[in-house]
Amino acid sequence: MQLIFSFLFLIISFTTVYSSDSFDEFEEEIKVEKRIDPLSGYNRVMTSFNDVTYEYVLSPVAKTYGDVVHEDIRKSVRNFFHNLLFPVRFVNNLLQLKFQNTLEETERFVLNSTLGFFGFYDIGQEEFKIYPHNEDFGQTLGYWGVGSGFHIVWPFFGPSNLRDSIGSFGVDSYLNPLIYYDERPQNILNNIEDSRGILLFKKVNDISFTYKQYKIMKKDAIDLYPYLRDSYEQYRDKQIEE
Amino acid sequence: MKIISKVLLVLGIVFTIGQSAYASEQEEVKELFLKKIATVVNIIKESTNTKEERNSKIVQLLTPTIDFEIMAKLSLGAKEWAKLNEEQKTTFVKLYVERMKQSYSSKLDAYSGQEIEVTKILQPKSNRIELVTNIVNPDNNLEISYKYYKPAKQQEGKDTWLIYDVTILGISILKTDRAQFSEFLRTKTIDDLITRLSNS
Repeated sequence: MQLIFSFLFLIISFTTVYSSDSFDEFEEEIKVEKRIDPLSGYNRVMTSFNDVTYEYVLSPVAKTYGDVVHEDIRKSVRNFFHNLLFPVRFVNNLLQLKFQNTLEETERFVLNSTLGFFGFYDIGQEEFKIYPHNEDFGQTLGYWGVGSGFHIVWPFFGPSNLRDSIGSFGVDSYLNPLIYYDERPQNILNNIEDSRGILLFKKVNDISFTYKQYKIMKKDAIDLYPYLRDSYEQYRDKQIEE
Repeated sequence: MKIISKVLLVLGIVFTIGQSAYASEQEEVKELFLKKIATVVNIIKESTNTKEERNSKIVQLLTPTIDFEIMAKLSLGAKEWAKLNEEQKTTFVKLYVERMKQSYSSKLDAYSGQEIEVTKILQPKSNRIELVTNIVNPDNNLEISYKYYKPAKQQEGKDTWLIYDVTILGISILKTDRAQFSEFLRTKTIDDLITRLSNS
């Protein structure tokens, strides 16, 4: 019996120690890992450039476009492009051994390309409740344990890092039909101008949904570059975790 | 052998009690959260208020649930915080709280009463609860996670469980602030930061 009581005592004293709160306990949770940032000088300049481009060119254009073109049409356009990028999601789900997701992505592609009128209508999600699984090669590398590397801000594309740049400009670009512009009958686009034009159009269409959020988000920034950098890296960490 | 089985029994009981205490704490935090959200939605739907009245009402409603002071301290970090004198501490907390309230209000303007559901409740430690919620949008859901802690002693005019961090799509408010502030303080002083906060 004595043994039991000593056990109980042990447990109780353990839980009391456990639940006492102190600054240190929080410190462990909030601690931001020091990120190596050799390009910080360039990145800062590029962040300002992107910000100005976004605020004074892309965002007003997207706003006007959004005012003129009905939301339903813009959503259809977004669905269409999303559907075209199926190869990226298919391959990267597969490479992360997410077989169920790979299957669902394939089902979505088949359904949306046919019943969904070439992907303009997301019938997979709306009618069949099959949801997309966005994966890219940066996430695939992260899944297999590759670290993010240093942060890079690209003109027009915005925040990225070494790992994700290799992913999106390297591997994923081979899976993106909007970047194939050689004159081959099986390609959708004929030349590099078409490719750039269509990518810009896609970008404007995307921004027409998000430009207000950027403004709201930017209000929280004391210093835009580290704010966007850390937001990006945390967001990617979370995506890789899932 | 007998003793061992007794010990196991007692341990079993203790753990079951412990588990159900966890469950009821989680339920309590969730209920209070949903109740407050319901009130927020009602305030938003009342069309008689101006935007400012509405936002200040909502901030007032949520203030007992949020520990702004600890957020202010944590955004600087223990090391930086210790360097501040009393006056700087008070000013910094005041400005930080003001900033949080404004930031929250501007996010409220973008919210139009969509359904909010609690998708997961985590309790990584006995005095930490994380409420993972989802703002249900027709085309893209927004995951927002509220991190609560339970102070050893309940503060006056405050709830038992207090929010000390919010993450939106995995981006923690505290962590981004910590990153920004520490970058700022690398080249500038705390007084510069205070001036910068009071100007925004």
